Amino acid sequence: MNARLRRKAGLAFVAPAALFLAAIIVFPLGHAFWTSLHRVRGLNATFIGLGNYARLADDATFWHSLGVSFAFTASAVALHLSIGLALALVVNELRTARTALRIVFLTPWMVAPAVGATIWLWLLEPQFGVVNYLLRAAGAIAAPVAWLGEPGTALASVVAVDVWRGVPFVMLLMLAGLQTIPIDQYEAASIDGAGGWTRFRFVTWPNLRYLVIVATTLDVINTIRHYDIIGVMTGGGPAGGTEVLPALIYNTAFRGNRLGEAAAIGIALLGIVLVLAIVYVRTARLDDDRIVR
Amino acid sequence: MRRRSPARVAALWTFALVAAAVMVFPFYWMLNTSLKPASEIFASPPTFVSAQWSLDAYRTIFETRAIGRYFVNSLIVAVGSTALSVVLASLAAYGLTRFFPRGATPFVMFLLFTKMLPETLLIIPYFQLMSDVGLLNTHLALILAYSSFALPFSVWMLIGFFRSIPREIDEAAQMDGASVLQTFGRVILPLARPGLVAVALFTFLIAWNSYVWALVLTTDSSMFVLSVGIANMVGEYRVQWNELMAAAVIAAVPVMVLYSLLERHLVSAITAGAVKG
Repeated sequence: MNARLRRKAGLAFVAPAALFLAAIIVFPLGHAFWTSLHRVRGLNATFIGLGNYARLADDATFWHSLGVSFAFTASAVALHLSIGLALALVVNELRTARTALRIVFLTPWMVAPAVGATIWLWLLEPQFGVVNYLLRAAGAIAAPVAWLGEPGTALASVVAVDVWRGVPFVMLLMLAGLQTIPIDQYEAASIDGAGGWTRFRFVTWPNLRYLVIVATTLDVINTIRHYDIIGVMTGGGPAGGTEVLPALIYNTAFRGNRLGEAAAIGIALLGIVLVLAIVYVRTARLDDDRIVR
Repeated sequence: MRRRSPARVAALWTFALVAAAVMVFPFYWMLNTSLKPASEIFASPPTFVSAQWSLDAYRTIFETRAIGRYFVNSLIVAVGSTALSVVLASLAAYGLTRFFPRGATPFVMFLLFTKMLPETLLIIPYFQLMSDVGLLNTHLALILAYSSFALPFSVWMLIGFFRSIPREIDEAAQMDGASVLQTFGRVILPLARPGLVAVALFTFLIAWNSYVWALVLTTDSSMFVLSVGIANMVGEYRVQWNELMAAAVIAAVPVMVLYSLLERHLVSAITAGAVKG
């Protein structure tokens, strides 16, 4: 085949996916930006330039929501990573039942977040929920707690559910990473008389550090965008206590019917994600062999 | 690493089992609750194993609620998304690896970018567009959305698979007189089957588990998928927890079965990218 024919054949293969993404992702993205420049009420849209963005800058709700997003993401990611790594280290040392354990640990991750959140609503139910029962039986609390009734405990609850859902994947990544560390490095360390901590400090950690950084960045990007758990459990309440940016976008757009403002918040969130993405691409020295999910 | 004291092994196992118990307990509680009669739901203390387990709650949700309908909707949407995404992704990945080996990297960077867009941002224009073209409350609107979300990862993963198939195989097929399309369909695709299975499963799960898109794009309750139907039951005046948990079981079990069957496949495919360091 000559070069021009090859080019044409190649384009014919790539075009459907490229056109599809252009129509379903790129065009809507442009449309979202366009919407963010308008005041939208029902079917009426008035062009107001950067008016929505100027409003956001003065909007206490937006800044509050940004703070909630930050608290939610920082605590969830820190817990995903630390618990995930600890579990991976443990499972990696076990010699039997590894596959069974891996499947068990993965269950929270494979089930729909919206369904997992529904189960947790029942577990956390104030009067008849089993969590309150177990905590009272253990003497940890004196009276039943309405977990989702107050901003503080509500935020802690949605973080806990997100940790439950998010730990498995991090554990899996870490486990895969641990298995790439050459055994002879551990043997050499043992011959030098290194104990458990020293082996972790000088063999495991240097080998794993790169993966931990990549996983953290990716996890931040995924967590800061996450909506489903909060959408089902609190919808952003009470009193905005769990209203992370995605929840604020949803509520502004589909409860408040202010699509223009919601789009502006969305673009702001996209800006944050893009900064994180640049960090990710630079730390991961990305070639196309190394993109996860 | 060889000598390990029994105490250390015991400690490791204790830690692993306690963690596993915490991970799985919510699912046990879901199952346990779904099997209880309504009267026992509000028993204090709660029963961890009931003497009266029955399938009544399951019968009720199929008879008095539209769970069957939601299930079929979820299935149509998930299968449709999977088919569309696998076709588009395998074509694109083959085209990129065979005809534009240099173009693959920028294209994949673009895919990565689309993967990072916040869902709640895209939903706004997507909702406006779908209502403009009259596709609200259709399976198609959801299928398009979910395929677009699964496509970037699918293309990326299949690029890896197609690259590992030597180009000499393509050339040999074409020497034997096969056209480009025949080479792709009859020779290369069968060789990439493990990759196709992983991509299909991945897309199916994304579509099956997705929530917020369906929440916005369907308002007619006969078009609800499972996740939306279930979350809506929570908002009812008086929540029937055993029925709600039975519905959750119905949403969760297919996913768990698929996973356990294909765990190795999917997991290694998903983690491979991050771990190659």
